[in-house]
Amino acid sequence: MSNKATILVVDDELGIREGCKRVLLQEGYVVQEAEDGNAGLIKAQQKQYDLLLVDLMMPGIGGMELIEQVHRLDPEIIVVVITGYATIETAVEATKRGAYDYIPKPFTPDALIAVVHRGLEKRALRLEALALHSEREQRLLELAGEKNRMQTIISCMADGVLVVNREEQLVLWNTAAEKMFSFSSTEPAGKSLREYIHDKSLNHYFKEVLHSKNQSVSMMTQEFCIEETGTILMANIAPVYDEEGVILGAVTVLRDITALKEIDKIKSQFVSMVAHELRAPLAAIEGWLEVVLSGEAGGDEEQNMKWLQRAKERAHALLVLVNDLLIINRMEAGKVAQKIETIHVLDLVFPIIDLLKGEADQKNVSIEVSFQDPLPPIQADKSDLEKLITNLLNNAIKYNSCNGFVRITGKREGPYFCLRVQDQGIGISSKDLPYIFNDFYRADNPVTKKIPGTGLGLTIVKKIVDSHLGRIEVESELGKGSTFTVLLPLDRK
Amino acid sequence: LKSKGKILLVDDDLDFLNMHKVILENRGYTVSTATSGNDGLASIRSEIPDLIILDLMMEKHDSGFSFSNKVKKDPLFKSIPILMVTSVAEVTGYSFTAEEDGYWMKTDDFLDKPVKPDVLIKHVERLIQKEKKK
Repeated sequence: MSNKATILVVDDELGIREGCKRVLLQEGYVVQEAEDGNAGLIKAQQKQYDLLLVDLMMPGIGGMELIEQVHRLDPEIIVVVITGYATIETAVEATKRGAYDYIPKPFTPDALIAVVHRGLEKRALRLEALALHSEREQRLLELAGEKNRMQTIISCMADGVLVVNREEQLVLWNTAAEKMFSFSSTEPAGKSLREYIHDKSLNHYFKEVLHSKNQSVSMMTQEFCIEETGTILMANIAPVYDEEGVILGAVTVLRDITALKEIDKIKSQFVSMVAHELRAPLAAIEGWLEVVLSGEAGGDEEQNMKWLQRAKERAHALLVLVNDLLIINRMEAGKVAQKIETIHVLDLVFPIIDLLKGEADQKNVSIEVSFQDPLPPIQADKSDLEKLITNLLNNAIKYNSCNGFVRITGKREGPYFCLRVQDQGIGISSKDLPYIFNDFYRADNPVTKKIPGTGLGLTIVKKIVDSHLGRIEVESELGKGSTFTVLLPLDRK
Repeated sequence: LKSKGKILLVDDDLDFLNMHKVILENRGYTVSTATSGNDGLASIRSEIPDLIILDLMMEKHDSGFSFSNKVKKDPLFKSIPILMVTSVAEVTGYSFTAEEDGYWMKTDDFLDKPVKPDVLIKHVERLIQKEKKK
């Protein structure tokens, strides 16, 4: 760099300018000159110089001022003051203002070369230091950015993250973890983990991970419950090592599995309920067969036939139940895609009534159909709708009184198709009403006991109504009868 | 033919009620029936049987339990032996036994549904004989 360094000589004495120029050109520097302070400043503004040789006593702006001005342009510029003996004090003053050194007049070429050389070396060092400094700043900035990015990523995680040091003190955590343990973002720094996690086995695992002698412990998984909130968490704990393989702390990722546990519980309850519902008729069938096989009738074939008939009835009820369960399963698993088509509901009603006629005739129940005419068609799945009407009509007949009647009406109600099934049956007590759409729920009274049912018919109805974005309402009075009203949107958009 | 003893059946499952009735009547017992705990209490108030055969889960899961408690706490009825016939084993995988659970269940004997006729009769005979020896 020194070979190509550019030097500006500012002096009002032509002799000094020429002398300096000659000496410095020989040294391989690029040299320019200015005859006073003003001209020097203009040159310094137009071009960057590495070093200025400045005479202090000049017309126009003085050397002192020039030193200050050029430093404003380039803080790392090297200024060497040329001064007479009489102004040594001012030269010292000039160095205080930023000049690098001074050279008293008259000077020898060697003295000039030496001071210029030193000054340029100084500038090179300063520039290098500056470059290093800015590089370091850049690094620090990048590091901060990286930390920031990591913090952002960790904060965005739905899973909680907790980092502890070897002393089991919290050092890093994210928003999800704050929520899980209900602490504020500033609170837990440096606090012991034990203040927040009370689960004994989890704390034991932390100890094990943090103090394991070998590196065999790579990850531990443990479920635990935060008692205050009832949240169930799945914790994955892993040790953090430094380059030498020494454990620095542990990182824990916590997943909230409360909802999963809840679903699991509901599933178990459903399975146990199904098992119970299945075993009741099966046990009865086995019981009756046992009675027949062990010869309780004593050769009375008519008696045996009666018992076998009863077993067959229970077997049939079981079949109906299994069918209903399969329907629900298919609907819940979404295995049957709905096939939405344009349906005139009335077209479905008469075939269903024909199917149920036998049962209705047994109790001498009459069925009245009353549909508005004309009535717009609806967009629905045909088999779903058939099942819905069948279940409602079937109930209306089954729970009707002898010689009663069932009325099925269809009409338009605003944007809805309104289907209503009304019976004069036993009705539903207000105690039972909230539960009638629950799986396996059956009103328990002496009358219903004698009527076979799975407790799934209305569950299916409700599911169909829901899947068609509709609504179902029930009005009922014990002993008077029930009215089921289904509202299905005419326009499914 | 002289009756071998009076038995009250309390069960809300009509199949088991009739089934057990058939089996017991064939062996010469006199059988009365009730389909709920309250019906059962009404029945023993009008006539004290030699044995009560009881279903654990009726209208409520513990209906049989509360019925047997009422019977065993009443000085008039506490000597009536109770045979509890349950489906609990298949639902919970736990089988009650007279030795383990008789005291707190206030019950003298247990059987799991469905009961084979000869097993039922064996238990019934033993309970009634024990009662008569007292």
